[in-house]
Amino acid sequence: MQALGAFEKIIRLSLRRLAGPVVTALFTLAYAVPCLAAEPVAVFPGVPYDGYIVYESLAVFWIVLVALIVVIRMKLREIERTQQLGAAEEDPNAPLLP
Amino acid sequence: MNCPRLKDWFEERYDLRGIRLLAREKLVPEHRYDLWYYTGGITLFLFILQFLTGMLMALYYVPHVKFAYESIIEIVTKLNMGWFFRSLHHWGAQLAIVFLFIHLFGTLLLKSYRKPREMVWVTGFILLGISIFFGLSGYLLLWDERAFAAVRVATGGAGAFPVIGGFIKAFLRGSIDVTGDTLLRFYAFHVAILPIVTLALIGLHILLVQFHGMSVPLSLEGEKRRDIPFFPNVFLKDLMIWLVVLGAVVTLAVLLPPEIGVQADPLAPPPENIKPEWYFLFMLETLKLFPGTILGFNGETIAILCVTAGILFFFLIPFLDRKSSRGEKSPLFTWIGVIYIVYFLVMTAMGFLS
Amino acid sequence: MKLKYSLITRRTFLNTLLFGWAAAFFSGTFYALMKFAFPTLGKEPDFVVLDKKAFKGLPQNSVKPFPWGGTVGLYLKKADGKVLALKGVCTHMECNVAYKPEERKFYCACHQGWFDENGVNIAGPPPKPLEVFEISEEGDKLIIARKGVKVELPKA
Repeated sequence: MQALGAFEKIIRLSLRRLAGPVVTALFTLAYAVPCLAAEPVAVFPGVPYDGYIVYESLAVFWIVLVALIVVIRMKLREIERTQQLGAAEEDPNAPLLP
Repeated sequence: MNCPRLKDWFEERYDLRGIRLLAREKLVPEHRYDLWYYTGGITLFLFILQFLTGMLMALYYVPHVKFAYESIIEIVTKLNMGWFFRSLHHWGAQLAIVFLFIHLFGTLLLKSYRKPREMVWVTGFILLGISIFFGLSGYLLLWDERAFAAVRVATGGAGAFPVIGGFIKAFLRGSIDVTGDTLLRFYAFHVAILPIVTLALIGLHILLVQFHGMSVPLSLEGEKRRDIPFFPNVFLKDLMIWLVVLGAVVTLAVLLPPEIGVQADPLAPPPENIKPEWYFLFMLETLKLFPGTILGFNGETIAILCVTAGILFFFLIPFLDRKSSRGEKSPLFTWIGVIYIVYFLVMTAMGFLS
Repeated sequence: MKLKYSLITRRTFLNTLLFGWAAAFFSGTFYALMKFAFPTLGKEPDFVVLDKKAFKGLPQNSVKPFPWGGTVGLYLKKADGKVLALKGVCTHMECNVAYKPEERKFYCACHQGWFDENGVNIAGPPPKPLEVFEISEEGDKLIIARKGVKVELPKA
């Protein structure tokens, strides 16, 4: 559980790091909007530093997602294993520990 | 997580035996084509995603003709991750329609519509129409010149319907031409009317599926099968697939954010090479096939009638396909289904290329 | 050191891993959602810059409102000629206050609260006096600042 806590902190930290610079970049973009009135509005951050943050957070997102899918598959495998053993049902008469 | 006291609190008040029975006994058939079973769930997941991102957009969007475009620019440039959520809403919509068509054509080819599941097909078909209208109404809300032109064409086309065309056009547009009234009306549809109807229909659609169980293709009906319990096996598989789809939508949203074109000007001519959203292309190409006048009648009206007849036939397939209702193989309708799919794909491709 | 028996069951391990990780994933998502739904809320400004000309030559015992961030501030020219700037928001439940020249008091209509001409609460439910600002001038600009705030004008 402590390992998970650390992971949670890392994810939250990188998102927090993301928020500030991205907001600044987007504010600068906002002032550029009237000048670009005739052209389509640029949406992705133009500043490369902020662009890299977006790609980096996409990578972090994928790593977290794939890890979640792997854990779900582990759980599924285990459930299938117990079902094949016939041990998957809960015994309704099992006593609770005091 | 064992919370016996919480469980007892519930069970002293609510009799959950029926639900528990369904949860324990709901089985999903396992066979060669069982991957198709997941398409409906993916569509549902994408719709839920649209509801969530849509709610976020609605916090800031202003549906007034003077402020709509600017409010979107504000969302996309000024708010924390606004561009991302708008992009997510856009790509979620695209993928929802894609998987909706995959689900539709899957049930068509696997003949899941046959007796006793005709009402599932009917509710699903209405949902298809609603989803297309979701796409059209949402698209106009951007109020850029592409959306404006596209809605003009779409509502004008609806006006070509004989007898009721004028009413449909006036109802959709809210006035003679596409104006701020149209924007407001489409906003009301997109944000209030369609969601309520969709929720009701999806609820009915899913309820009917629980009642009937999952349909097994005709060719595999007699075989002995090992069926898997829905909870937790198929539920977890569903979850994994949904997470992959979520990853795909997020990746598309980040790497390919949709552009914002120039603001709509009702007095300006439409831009060059204007095209509607891709799921309308097949209809546009079909309309292009028809000449201006046929035997003295208005060509556009004839075209609309033919398209309507085609869609109506498609809708009535479960009731026309007598053989599959009886449980017999029905190769004629398999071919009809293939023809519809090929026509749709070819016409859409032609729309892209022209 | 090898243990004879496992400390936790396979089921507990898997469940913790699954629900813990899912919780982390969804809390990250939720955080992003909240960042979007709660934009940087408008802070109250430390000072506002007004056009001096608009506030010169006000009749005595009258009030001129000015914008203070998202709320209203009141610029009072008292009967004896002195000027006072304060926030026109009642300290009770944040209704806007009005100036009653006949009585030389500020009145809040929501719960019948009264403030005297210096903003001190004298009757009714308001618990605190109205917030008073510091007035200063710089060139042709009138600067109204919160007490104690060092005003630095941007070099425009």
